[in-house]
Amino acid sequence: MVETFTPAVCGSRSRQRLAIALFALAALVASAVLGATLGFVGSLVGTRPALIAAAALAFLAALREAGILRLPLPQSRRQVPERWQYERPLALWSAGYGAGLGLGFLTFQPVATFWVACAAALALGKPVAAAGCFALYGAGRAFMAVWPRHREPSGPAAVERLVGRASVVPRANAVVLGLAVVLLAVAPAAGAAVTSLGRGFDPAADGNTLARARMAAGTIKVLVVPPAPDPMDTVSPANSPTLSGNYLAYADDEGIKVIDWRNDTPVRELDGPYSHPALDYPRLAYIRDDGTYERLVLADDISKPNPDERIIASVRSAADLGRPTLRGGRLAWHRIDDGGSAIYLLNLATNDRRVIKRTNVWMEANPSVTSSRIVWVEQRPQGSYLRMQWFRSKHTKTLMQVRGRKTLFWTTALAGRTAYVTRWTPSTRKAVVLRVNF
Amino acid sequence: MPRPDGLLDAAARALSTRLASGMTRKSFLGRMGGAVLAATGGAAVAAAVRPAKSEAFHFCGHIWTTGSCPNPLGLPRIDKNGFPLRPSDGHRIDNLGRPVNSEGWAVDGSGNRLRSPDGEFLPRAPRTRLCEDWTNEHYKIGGVMQGAWYRCCNGQVRKLVDCCSHSRKRINGDASLTGYCFDGRRVFCVLYYDSGLKC
Repeated sequence: MVETFTPAVCGSRSRQRLAIALFALAALVASAVLGATLGFVGSLVGTRPALIAAAALAFLAALREAGILRLPLPQSRRQVPERWQYERPLALWSAGYGAGLGLGFLTFQPVATFWVACAAALALGKPVAAAGCFALYGAGRAFMAVWPRHREPSGPAAVERLVGRASVVPRANAVVLGLAVVLLAVAPAAGAAVTSLGRGFDPAADGNTLARARMAAGTIKVLVVPPAPDPMDTVSPANSPTLSGNYLAYADDEGIKVIDWRNDTPVRELDGPYSHPALDYPRLAYIRDDGTYERLVLADDISKPNPDERIIASVRSAADLGRPTLRGGRLAWHRIDDGGSAIYLLNLATNDRRVIKRTNVWMEANPSVTSSRIVWVEQRPQGSYLRMQWFRSKHTKTLMQVRGRKTLFWTTALAGRTAYVTRWTPSTRKAVVLRVNF
Repeated sequence: MPRPDGLLDAAARALSTRLASGMTRKSFLGRMGGAVLAATGGAAVAAAVRPAKSEAFHFCGHIWTTGSCPNPLGLPRIDKNGFPLRPSDGHRIDNLGRPVNSEGWAVDGSGNRLRSPDGEFLPRAPRTRLCEDWTNEHYKIGGVMQGAWYRCCNGQVRKLVDCCSHSRKRINGDASLTGYCFDGRRVFCVLYYDSGLKC
């Protein structure tokens, strides 16, 4: 490019400056668009695999740049089409060259770093941040079209000088890639890609179907959103949804109802002071509030006319058992009182009861389970944290956090490697459901 | 007549003395470090090393170096039983730093109970003692409130309280002092209680 952007090729010094400006702008825009696209795709597919891939790629690329490993690069072994500068207007060819080089993969790649950056942008899972980072790639392309001429008026001589120093580049690149491996490996919670799903609270998930409650004109309704092309279902008034296949359980003023949400067929009704259902059909757990005590009740088979019921936990009404969760033969709930809080897990097959987290200080609340994991919210004065733990491990991972006391996390849902959490602001009563891929 | 560089040195020495006499060693060194970075053009970096609140003078009445016990809002103000209060006005708060009413329910500025997104009242958050519960959960040191002394602060008598344990280390990470603790205990961290009595 140094040899191309000369007064001789462009026609005059002013046309040279115009060509460089257009080249730089197009390179910046093209690389930013590429970054945004990768970040967007990353936010859709989940970023944990992309993060691992980025670290592995950076490691391989560092070995390649250091000359330890010989690896071919996926690249288009072409340069920008030279004929453009003779056949097309200056504005078009200079911008076209910039866009082509800014996109990276359309031309020759001397080093492997570009592909590491692509994987890292995927792992970031944030289109705007990835666009900002990738714009630097375009800026680098533009910089290299101008800088070698800084002290060398002759384009070819500037290129010769640059080529003379080319041996330094792979070594420096290997060092930078080595640092990238370390940073990608230690990135805290970098695998969590967060997407806002819009207004709502109390999410419930089963597979790719998501239900949530939403306040509209003073009434709470439940929205069930299956994957496309199935239509959305709405139930009103209804609150505190829980999903299990085609079955939806929710609370209303009369108690708890279980329906087949695909055709709105009633399945079961429990009238009384019942709330916060948790459904893993045919099992149903719920909270019964008799005024003095709040009890967590488990009904073993609600397909029977008279299911067996047992009380799992009881607290005085000043304390709280919250919104239980039931999935994969496990029941989890929280207990909060003025002396502390805890998250409990009951294995229904073995009746083995376990404390996932207990504290005298913070507020541990609103768990959700699958057959292998549990997520819950930890609230501290400094902020809210979405925590996750494997049942086979005692290690707790933080999926995401919000700082401060103005906005906090509330109820959760979990399906596979996707967690959902309500984020709300008490002062404005605004609540949205976030999806967290980890 | 003193040389110009001597005058400059004297002025710098006087400035340093004035700075140092007005603050603790920690804050003095912190500010000097920040000034050096700022002088070398690193204003952004300088902001990052701005001296932290002085542990020695972190609240009125406490001039020694033992740090505050863990607390929700930055200063270890407690009621007579050791539960947290809002430092600015003494309103009772829960462990999340939210103002609460006499029954422990979180309330807004008008005293109304806070509600969750579905309109239900929020559950009560834990409200536990800063020494016996907070400090013990964080540091596992078996702390108890023991020694106390009194100072006049903002026109009222302030009771300064030691959270004592058998730990040989205090919250700062260095060796603990006996202070007003007894039964072989030493000061791990400090708290205060504003009595409301005029002085």
